[in-house]
Amino acid sequence: MAIHTFAAVDVGSYELGLKIFEISRGRGIREVDHLERRIDLGSDTFYTGKISHRHVLQVGEVLRDFHSIMETYRCEDYKAYGTSAIREMTNASLVLRQWEQMSGIHVDVISNSEQRFLDYKSVASRGQQFNDFIKESCAIVDIGGGSLQISWFDEDRLSATQNMPLGVLRLYDRVRQIDARTDQFEGLVEEIVGAQIETFKKLYLGARKIHNLIIIDDHMSNFMQSRGMEIVSAEKLQVLLSQTRESSLHNIGSSLGLSDEALNLLYITGIMVNYICRSFGADRIWGTGVTLCDGIAYEYAEKHRILPPSHDFDEDILACTSEISKRYMGSETRSDTLETIATKIFDATKKIHGMRAREKLLLRISARLHDCGKYISMANIGECGYDIIMATEIIGLSHKEREIVANVVRYNHSEFVYYEEQENVTDLDLDSYMTITNLTAILQLANGLDRSHKQKFGDIRIQVRGDKMVITVRQGVDITLEKGMIKHRADFFEEILGLTPVIRQSNR
Amino acid sequence: MQNKAQAEKAVDYRNPDYYWNRELSWLQFNRRCLGEARSRENPLMERLNFLSITASNLDEFFMVRVSSLQDMVHSEYTKRDIAGMTASEQLSAVLADTHDFMSSQYYTYNRQLVPALREEGITMIDDYEDLTEDEKSYLEDYFTTEVYPVVTPMAVDSSRPFPLILNKSLNIGALLTRKENAGPGILNRTKKAKKAMKSEAENLEFATVQVPSVLPRVIRLPEESEKPHTARVILMETLIRHYMPRLFLNYNIVCAYPYRITRSADMDIDEDEAEDLLREIEKQLKKRRHGYAIRLEVENDMDPRMLNILCSELLLPQDEVYHIDGPLDLTFLSKVRKLEGFDDLHEHRYAPPQEVPQLPTGCDIFAQIRKSDIFMQHPYESFQPVVDFIANAAVDPQVLAIKQTLYRVSGNSPIVAALAKAADNGKQVTVLVELKARFDEQNNIVWARMLEKAGCHVIYGLVGLKTHSKITLVVRREEDGIRRYVHLATGNYNDVTAKLYTDCGLMTCKEPFGEDATAVFNMLSGYSEPKSWNRLILAPLWMKNRFLSLIDREAQHAKNGEPAHITAKMNSLCDPDIIEGLYKANAAGVEIDLIIRGICCLKVGIPGISDHIRVRSIVGNFLEHSRIFKFENAGRPEYYAGSADWMPRNLDRRVEIVFPLEDENVKKKAEHILQVELADTMQASLLKTDGTYEKVDRRGKEKINSQLIFCNEAVAAAKAARQQADSRHFIPEEHHQGLEEQE
Repeated sequence: MAIHTFAAVDVGSYELGLKIFEISRGRGIREVDHLERRIDLGSDTFYTGKISHRHVLQVGEVLRDFHSIMETYRCEDYKAYGTSAIREMTNASLVLRQWEQMSGIHVDVISNSEQRFLDYKSVASRGQQFNDFIKESCAIVDIGGGSLQISWFDEDRLSATQNMPLGVLRLYDRVRQIDARTDQFEGLVEEIVGAQIETFKKLYLGARKIHNLIIIDDHMSNFMQSRGMEIVSAEKLQVLLSQTRESSLHNIGSSLGLSDEALNLLYITGIMVNYICRSFGADRIWGTGVTLCDGIAYEYAEKHRILPPSHDFDEDILACTSEISKRYMGSETRSDTLETIATKIFDATKKIHGMRAREKLLLRISARLHDCGKYISMANIGECGYDIIMATEIIGLSHKEREIVANVVRYNHSEFVYYEEQENVTDLDLDSYMTITNLTAILQLANGLDRSHKQKFGDIRIQVRGDKMVITVRQGVDITLEKGMIKHRADFFEEILGLTPVIRQSNR
Repeated sequence: MQNKAQAEKAVDYRNPDYYWNRELSWLQFNRRCLGEARSRENPLMERLNFLSITASNLDEFFMVRVSSLQDMVHSEYTKRDIAGMTASEQLSAVLADTHDFMSSQYYTYNRQLVPALREEGITMIDDYEDLTEDEKSYLEDYFTTEVYPVVTPMAVDSSRPFPLILNKSLNIGALLTRKENAGPGILNRTKKAKKAMKSEAENLEFATVQVPSVLPRVIRLPEESEKPHTARVILMETLIRHYMPRLFLNYNIVCAYPYRITRSADMDIDEDEAEDLLREIEKQLKKRRHGYAIRLEVENDMDPRMLNILCSELLLPQDEVYHIDGPLDLTFLSKVRKLEGFDDLHEHRYAPPQEVPQLPTGCDIFAQIRKSDIFMQHPYESFQPVVDFIANAAVDPQVLAIKQTLYRVSGNSPIVAALAKAADNGKQVTVLVELKARFDEQNNIVWARMLEKAGCHVIYGLVGLKTHSKITLVVRREEDGIRRYVHLATGNYNDVTAKLYTDCGLMTCKEPFGEDATAVFNMLSGYSEPKSWNRLILAPLWMKNRFLSLIDREAQHAKNGEPAHITAKMNSLCDPDIIEGLYKANAAGVEIDLIIRGICCLKVGIPGISDHIRVRSIVGNFLEHSRIFKFENAGRPEYYAGSADWMPRNLDRRVEIVFPLEDENVKKKAEHILQVELADTMQASLLKTDGTYEKVDRRGKEKINSQLIFCNEAVAAAKAARQQADSRHFIPEEHHQGLEEQE
């Protein structure tokens, strides 16, 4: 049985964490060591945009310690992610390089959506318990230092996800800045949180109730677990939360050995959870106790095929995408057809473009969002679609991936701009741009094949024969319009993939 | 029912009348040690050892506890202790008691031990004139060649201030007059000396000589061949005193007397401010030499003029002067005990440490631990497996890391050597060396530096807390992944004291213990504590509450009519919260048996408060040191062991670990230890309602010496294990037949 030793590092807003895991098919993911060091980076960056020199050095030293611990365990691989505090730094690249020089650990900055998706994955990896919870309407409430993410499930499927700048550390700083007394926290926090939660409800839930809440956080879950209550009813939660109120805080602090600041963060988290629970009308609450590091390990195991997938996460991303499309009045039927044709072209030309499953997912997302720009302007679908996608968080996608999707959707409608012709400053490298080019060529062709929007090409066969890509349509379908209109798109496809699309009608 | 509940509520368990003062209780413990020195049931040399121990115990008590009381008095600290005494009241009581105690020590020495030694052929010579001419001649040579070169007479005058008299050093003070025709003296008396002597008529001058510590204090004189198995002994101070004129040639020695001072050993370390704790402690250690004097010991008949000089120079009031009827500093008796040729006067019933049956020499320790938890009882069972555990880990290619806490380490520690070797072999070695271990600070600084040099990651613990826990973690990569081996103990990683102290140790590789041990070291390295602990109970954050809840659980069981019993063995009990918990449990009907070697602030026999509590103390051949706790838990007993006593310092100001004993065999062994000690009729004393202790009334009872029983059991178990191992050496059939034929 091959055992892989892996280290996950989380450079969080107020804590640095390292977890060492052993991952094997037989024993799954086993946590071997876990270290945390409290360093409040969030307070620096959320207000000044930079990390103080003292904190740069402190983090460097901790990362050096982490590196030495990884060496102790002879870790084969590691992944270190920086989250919101690092994202909001104006001098991130400089600091990340310093840390790498000091410690030998390379920290990647992940987008909020990637971070939340990892959190979500780590909960989903709990298997049966997770499945039980999402069977009924369920929301994952992921309370970070900088922001709050609510992801809503409907009938087993991730339905929507929304990020709000309501992180616990951010809220704590806000109430501290206005010199609020602890007994004022509850009112103030509920006021701040309430405004945004109610908007979320109006947008996504309407009158619907969320029966189950899954909490991902650093304070409340641990508190629940310390009381032996990982899953509690709403009534029990009320009792538990009453213990976090000011009068009992000191007792909790001494029994759990928490610092004053940690106690305040627990208190604020308690207020947030309480409000959300009441507002959503939740019956059951699960304090998972998972951390980002668990998600990183799960992702590693999944990516390296050490563990079989426990849940189809791509389907969750696609379901979320469909919700976004729906919000912008996208045509579901049209999107389905386009997605079907595009994926068939993708699969048939795999050997030529060399793209993999992840790019295929991006193509499917692009197909689902291809017409969202219409919601703003029928005349400028491409540019409007680009802007909508860039302004919308798609769970599970990195910033770069979102930009790829946005560009594919844009060039599906607008004139393609080659890499060398770009005028705007972009984070996209040549490889990413090649992905955009390939996916655009495929989506454009697929779009051309469904020009009439009558799903005539829903049932097609595609084969590559020499320098031709033969698209076979079943007999009896009138494809005159498509044959005539496809010319321009076929030229671009040919230019990019070196294949001439040929439409044939089946004899059978 | 309601009335009963109200009555229960009305009881003030913190009533000072329900508690003994801890200092006076400690003095009771030293009296129990003195009792062993007086007991004719002990061999003579062991009695000397006990008396020596009482003396060194008392030194430490003065340096730490009495000095602390004095500090409180000087700073006008008025808060009362658990027994309702102010610092000033405690100090008065302690000084009165120690005066009385020291009288008892010397009574024992003069009236019992010296005559007993003489009967056995060992003569303690305290008067130079009692020496034979040959002996005098021998000592003349000895003084001239060995002693004279190393003694430094120090005069005291206005240009030479009173010298720094080292803590616990033995000195001889002298009053001198200038010889006629010797010219004007070089000594100008200090103002204090002038004042002290009151009369200048004699023109007395003061000088002092430190008895050199580099030479043995006990001098055995050459034996006369016709008197075998005898020894004549003289002490170094007697010799130097005789030769004082040699040291002050132009002076007449008016009088010369030995004296000894004890200084405060408290250190004032501001850990928050200290940039380098190691350097700060080194600095403070130097300062400790200048701690103020808290006790002056002088011979009974010391010249009052000299006494006045000493008292005024050392700023000591009369009640801190101890007039001694015999040689000062009885710790020399431990050297007398080592005189060769008197084996028959020693204790021989106790066998040396035996092989641990599960861990025979040369075995694969890790494989043995994988089979089951191993519980060791030292010193009956050898400490060597613990040394081997680390030594084997140091060279095992599968071992990734070794982590250990060190509190008190022996002089030439094989454990430290193994740790250094492990680092040299590329293992990640993390060692917490507690620099603040009292009186071992210097030793630990040396070890810390040595380990750092060897490439170990040395940490000094947490600010404001002493790390007293005893834990070792070995991380090993095995076929099925990382496995952690943990050793947890009640005693230090000290191979020398492990032969003298009774302690327990557990070796386990159970995952929950391994996870907790990992978290302990992460925490000690400055990382956050885990969200929760699997098995280990740690002070200062969690332990007291856990013990209180375990005690309370027994009370609940008793109220429910279920079996409820607490048996706890420790060194000291003085935590008010715990005692209150025990009183409440007693009131609820819990039976409580406590085996407490040292301080016990709990009072027994108070109706409704402690009438179900029994306290016994075992003072024996070995120093009782293990801490074992048993909670009956309604017939599902739980056992724990660990490094912590039930004292505020352990529960509130130290990092301590208490661990559960889970395996049935381990539980059985712990239960056996407790039961045998509770049955001890030889070395146990019972706490009486008046706060004194008396030996168990043996009338009609079997003679049970718990330490001897454990010793014999260890011998038998080791023998049985060896026999079992031998029986597994299969003999080939032919060979076997051959043997039969021979028979």
